Amino acid sequence: MTNALATVIIVVSLLAAAYSLWSAWRDKAMGVPHLVALGVLEVLLITQAVVGFVKVSGGEGPHSSATFVGYLLAILLIPPAGAGWGLLERSRYGPGVIVVACLAVAIMIVRMQQLWQGTNV
Amino acid sequence: MSDRAEATTRSGPGRLLVAVYALFALAAGARAGVQIGTKFSEAPVAYLLSAVAAVIYVLATVALALGGRTSRRVAVAACSVELLGVLVVGTLSLADASAFPDATVWSGFGRGYGYVPLVLPIVGLVWLWRTSRTDGQASAPTAAKDTAPDTGSTSA
Repeated sequence: MTNALATVIIVVSLLAAAYSLWSAWRDKAMGVPHLVALGVLEVLLITQAVVGFVKVSGGEGPHSSATFVGYLLAILLIPPAGAGWGLLERSRYGPGVIVVACLAVAIMIVRMQQLWQGTNV
Repeated sequence: MSDRAEATTRSGPGRLLVAVYALFALAAGARAGVQIGTKFSEAPVAYLLSAVAAVIYVLATVALALGGRTSRRVAVAACSVELLGVLVVGTLSLADASAFPDATVWSGFGRGYGYVPLVLPIVGLVWLWRTSRTDGQASAPTAAKDTAPDTGSTSA
């Protein structure tokens, strides 16, 4: 796990959450911009999964690597699931789902950084 | 605040509720999987509780997402068991910390998850109650007579 990539992911997910919150506030349904934001987020998360796997298999990373790998994989499910579930709802609650998904991604990245840094003490 | 006639448990604000439930199903499920798969003998009770919590979250997610009459009963049961679970496990984990050497989703009333596990079943039950009023008007008023075939699954 690299701090630069983690920071980029957190910034992107928070921006996407803010944009989606604004959409929900204005009573708009989900649209193309939301999907693009989730797509960018997913690409970043896949990159992180690849980097993370390479580092963990190279002996780096936390002691409880199973938990870390679990996060690494589970987080990949969230943007597509959020996109699908949000698209089904043609109201302000569609972007609302994206707010939940993006905040969850940001929280999980912070948690992963804590797990990662647990070994570097 | 939507009083749409077709309001079910999954539409409108319910969409958010299902999303949060799905997140907790994922979190509890992944946690239980890792705990049971890698170090089950260390704290079997806590890890089995994690697994039970995961099953309840999955049940609640699916039932709220489907929103039929039987699903509604499953959802009420799942949310009730969840509320009971978070209260009992939360109390026990604070009163007798040695019984819970490793954390579950419900330890300390869901402290590790921003107390969302404590609030979620309450929101779920309130949402089920609210939508049952509008759904009851939209469908048949004889809600007491339930002829759904697989009500056995509600006795969770």
